[in-house]
Amino acid sequence: MSDGSFLRVRAIAKKEVVEFTRDWRTIIAIIVIPLLMFPLLFILFPVLLESETAELDALELSIVIQTDGLPENLAENISLSSMDYSIELLPNLTSLSEPGQDLERVRNSSTDAILRFESSEDVWDFAILHLSTSERSNEARNRLLITLSEWESSEIRVRIVEGGMDVNTTLDPLRWDGEVSSGDVATSGEQSGMILSMFIPLVLAIWTYSSAIQPSIDMTAGERERGTLEALLCLPCTRMELLFGKWLAVATITGVGVLLQIFGLLFAIGYLASSSSFIGVPQLSMISIGLIVLSIMLFAIMVVAFELALAMRSHSVKEAGSILAPALMLILFPALFTQVINLDGIEGFWFAIPVVNILLALRELLMNRVITEHVLIWGFSSIVYATLAAYYASRQFNREDIVTSLS
Amino acid sequence: MPESLLSIQGVTKNFAEVQALHEINLEIHSGEIVGLVGSNGAGKTTLLRLMAGVYKPSSGTVNLSNGEPVTTMRHELGVVPESTGLYSRLTAWENIRYHSRMHGIPDSISWARTEKFAEHLDMKENLSRHTKGFSRGMKQKTALLRALAHGPNILLLDEPTAGLDITSARTVRALVRQLRDEGGTVIYSTHQLAEAQQVCDRIVIIHNGEIRADGSPFQLLNDTDTDSLEEAYVSLTQDQARTRKEDNDRESAFTGWWRRFFTPKTPKTTREVMESE
Repeated sequence: MSDGSFLRVRAIAKKEVVEFTRDWRTIIAIIVIPLLMFPLLFILFPVLLESETAELDALELSIVIQTDGLPENLAENISLSSMDYSIELLPNLTSLSEPGQDLERVRNSSTDAILRFESSEDVWDFAILHLSTSERSNEARNRLLITLSEWESSEIRVRIVEGGMDVNTTLDPLRWDGEVSSGDVATSGEQSGMILSMFIPLVLAIWTYSSAIQPSIDMTAGERERGTLEALLCLPCTRMELLFGKWLAVATITGVGVLLQIFGLLFAIGYLASSSSFIGVPQLSMISIGLIVLSIMLFAIMVVAFELALAMRSHSVKEAGSILAPALMLILFPALFTQVINLDGIEGFWFAIPVVNILLALRELLMNRVITEHVLIWGFSSIVYATLAAYYASRQFNREDIVTSLS
Repeated sequence: MPESLLSIQGVTKNFAEVQALHEINLEIHSGEIVGLVGSNGAGKTTLLRLMAGVYKPSSGTVNLSNGEPVTTMRHELGVVPESTGLYSRLTAWENIRYHSRMHGIPDSISWARTEKFAEHLDMKENLSRHTKGFSRGMKQKTALLRALAHGPNILLLDEPTAGLDITSARTVRALVRQLRDEGGTVIYSTHQLAEAQQVCDRIVIIHNGEIRADGSPFQLLNDTDTDSLEEAYVSLTQDQARTRKEDNDRESAFTGWWRRFFTPKTPKTTREVMESE
């Protein structure tokens, strides 16, 4: 690239970034949202869930127990679970699960749940009628299930003792000796890499694509629609310089967004892990780190070039949006699919499939696995895909009709 | 006779089924103001884009007089497109500076030229303002400043006075003449005959993609044996003007079918309108 060419590409990229960041909505979209998304999701969301759970725990529920004889200790346990109950006789039904005459009582919430409990020689049969669309009713069912389970456990223990056996050896004949975690020979760094490999490739793939949508459209179909492209095409720059400058700008904006999102994700994970040894710093070699950077760069070249090409094909911002947004599926499905692929003994061809190859590579590398055969396959195939995407983009930028619009 | 600068030989330009220009032959000479006059959709903008190298001809050639393609003279070219093409989130000066940098001109030089012309156009106070709030006239003036900032030898102006008030339009016309006097060449597209008569040394009348006349205003009157350019224009363009449709025709067959499927029939009578209410 000559000096003049480099200066023009730099001028295009700089102008695009400056213009794009002058919109405060863009700053929110590329800086604030990526930075806050995971902390909010991982920190604030559990807090909200906890407060909701506490609210549910504090509820005083009222239930009906239909029985032919309720064991005394079970009645006590139900009372201790903050549930008022009234006792009725069991209706005559073929199955305890049949709502029968009680259907409306549960549906109109005149009672939160109905426990049917029937003794039959040495065992008891039971069923709970509840309304799954009501939080109170669900809570009543959950409390009843827990209470019944606890009562069943104590009943089992009583029967074991009455049978002349030892409770511990009967219920727990197979025991783990020592600390369970001591049996895992993976280092904490490797374990951290394993956990991160489930998040980071997915986040990277989806966010790289989605954060490039807006700038790609703005810098291509947007320019076309606003009529700024024609003046630009009359300048002494080649269309390849124009493409490269715009690519650089979109990649910069997208890169900042992705980096911030990963930073937010790591912060959230770190915060969650601060009170336990749930996760530590992944143990990565310099080769792994270098290959991670390379894979991300190749992925970004491919995705951004592809989006710029699709946006440049479009006649308007609206059309570009309606093409690029659903095209996210091309990234989303492989990204989700990649999460469930078993990496042990994986065949090499997986590393040649577009999108899947980079995501698998990231998963392997985050676990500090550098397998030469895989690196060669994903490296070569990614270069091919990135080149094809860049070629496709260059073809779109060389189209003559990009100066016209439907307006 | 001034030396030839740009030579357009047998140029035809097609957009899918539509022939935008047909067998155009035109020589542009240094130091003249050439007016391209025609109705909307006549082919003026297409011809300007061919001269700027944005479009390639379907047949024929658009070359410099030395035979080189027009794209090699882009450093010498200043363009004001019909849409002005300004970035609304940049200031007027940033818009100008961006284009000058693309021409490889240092900021200090482009600023000096911009300042000089901005005085003429009464735009100096607006250079630091974002162009988003600009009126159509201010946008036109900024686009003109941008086209002049790198010191071009050739100016391609597509409807440069559209949206300008009378005083500003006069200033622009005076500026164009001044540039010609300093040795510059100007291609000036307009559909205002009176304006073309005031500014241009030579008028090229384009109609339905063809050149119908080419000469000085005096020559046109002589050739058509009329008393005014308006009459001359009417006599040369008696066949019905086509509408501008090069862009619309590019949609795919399926897209066109889909759009028509959801477009109700336009009523033809008052009764049909009342029935559709």
